[in-house]
Amino acid sequence: MIVFDDVTKRFVTAGRAQTIIALQGISTSVAEGEFVSIVGPSGCGKSTLLYIVGGFVQSSSGRVLVDGRPVTGPGTDRGPVFQEFALFPWKTVRGNILYSLVEQKMPRAEAEERVAYLVDLVHLRGYEELYPKELSGGMKQRVAIARTLAYNPAILLMDEPFGAIDAHTRTRLQDELLSIWETERKTVLFVTHAVDEAIYLSDRVLVMTQSPGRIKADIRLDLPRPRRREELLLDRRYQQYMIDIGRLIENGPEAPPP
Amino acid sequence: MTALADRLRPLVAVVFLLALWQAASLLLQEDYLPPATAVLADAGQLLASGALIPDILSSLGRLAWGFAFGIVLGIPLGLVSGRSERINDFVAPLLALFYPVPKAALMPIFLLWFGAGDISKIVIIIMSVSLPLVYHSYQGAKSVDAKLLWSAAAMGTGRLRQFWKIILPASLPEVLLGTRVAIVIGVIAMVSSEMIVRQNGVGYYIFNTLDMAEYQTTYAVIVVVAAMGYALDWLFERVRLRLTFWAPERRAPLVEPA
Repeated sequence: MIVFDDVTKRFVTAGRAQTIIALQGISTSVAEGEFVSIVGPSGCGKSTLLYIVGGFVQSSSGRVLVDGRPVTGPGTDRGPVFQEFALFPWKTVRGNILYSLVEQKMPRAEAEERVAYLVDLVHLRGYEELYPKELSGGMKQRVAIARTLAYNPAILLMDEPFGAIDAHTRTRLQDELLSIWETERKTVLFVTHAVDEAIYLSDRVLVMTQSPGRIKADIRLDLPRPRRREELLLDRRYQQYMIDIGRLIENGPEAPPP
Repeated sequence: MTALADRLRPLVAVVFLLALWQAASLLLQEDYLPPATAVLADAGQLLASGALIPDILSSLGRLAWGFAFGIVLGIPLGLVSGRSERINDFVAPLLALFYPVPKAALMPIFLLWFGAGDISKIVIIIMSVSLPLVYHSYQGAKSVDAKLLWSAAAMGTGRLRQFWKIILPASLPEVLLGTRVAIVIGVIAMVSSEMIVRQNGVGYYIFNTLDMAEYQTTYAVIVVVAAMGYALDWLFERVRLRLTFWAPERRAPLVEPA
């Protein structure tokens, strides 16, 4: 369970000329095992919100509680997956996935077994000894997902993970992510600018506005699971969500509540 | 055939330079410009007879000591400065002051402090090689992708441990570029320190033969020093490419390893 309690983030621009309110008064919560997407125009602070949950960035005021405890820094209960993959380039696929297990001093045999399981889970069998620079974008993101799943965080923080990946590979990765989520049942916070992706994957979609970043709409999706892409595309509810959420993003910020 | 031609092409410039030298020498017929062929033969003779070997060894010994200290001091200082603004605010002004001072100009002071032995020469080498080592280590550490550190933190790697596990390997390509520059600068410092305090070493040998008007030998020793520098650089490039084969390609070095 993640609780956002009046989270605000202000940035000072270079030269201290201006204060930008990236996030203002974010209050919501995400239940255990829930898949929640955050969509909004670029620059609306959606990634910043994710980094605050990760403990990588501090909020200016307000707080984030994970299972009742305030976030004070990064921790192994929250696993980030970044658009830029952030793989360790000096380590092989295997070395990257193994990293957290070595850090946590898991016995070698057990760690190797877990790596083998994850390599299969993300369909990378046969690529274990390659280095990141030898991999395509889609393969890199598979490694990054496996690396994060390795230490079994309860929460996945995914920051536009498929944003830099070609359309064909993206749909495959979305399907793989859903099947992983259905077996591993993690809480997922998923930042994206793609409305179709958010609807396809999520239980709930949070729509954010730009400067100041606020939650403009909180939409619980009434769509069956497991999701079938072809069925969904023909589903009237899916089509209506596409239209509604698309409009919410386009229309810009509403007047702030009094 | 073409492969052989490709490999020989870099030699064209060297042959061109030698031909120019040879022609000028034959044209001028002066003692101060002996023919290239005679100088090369003399250089071969110096090495084959072993006459220059003790001086080469004492020069290389001091270079190795200076280099070892430079690495132990310079790389950690640069890495720490690159990660801590507070430390950099202290280190950067000192480096800025120290940077334009010709290190050989400090030799008289070191002679007063350490006497005319090896120590003052080694200190000059340490100071010379430290600057590129500190600077490139600083650049390397400063440009480590924040998301690599976030990922490591989320996987349970603490702040201090991140230096060893993430910052050092991530900076390594840049650190080794600095090391390559330092090798060349180290050879320069080595020779100039031996020219100021003339006891032994290749720098001493150059001036000694000059004093005795053995100009051909002077040239021959210079050729040997150039070959030494080239050999050290070539060897180091092997090491560098071995250690950073995983790094994504960046700008090509000015001098390609043969």
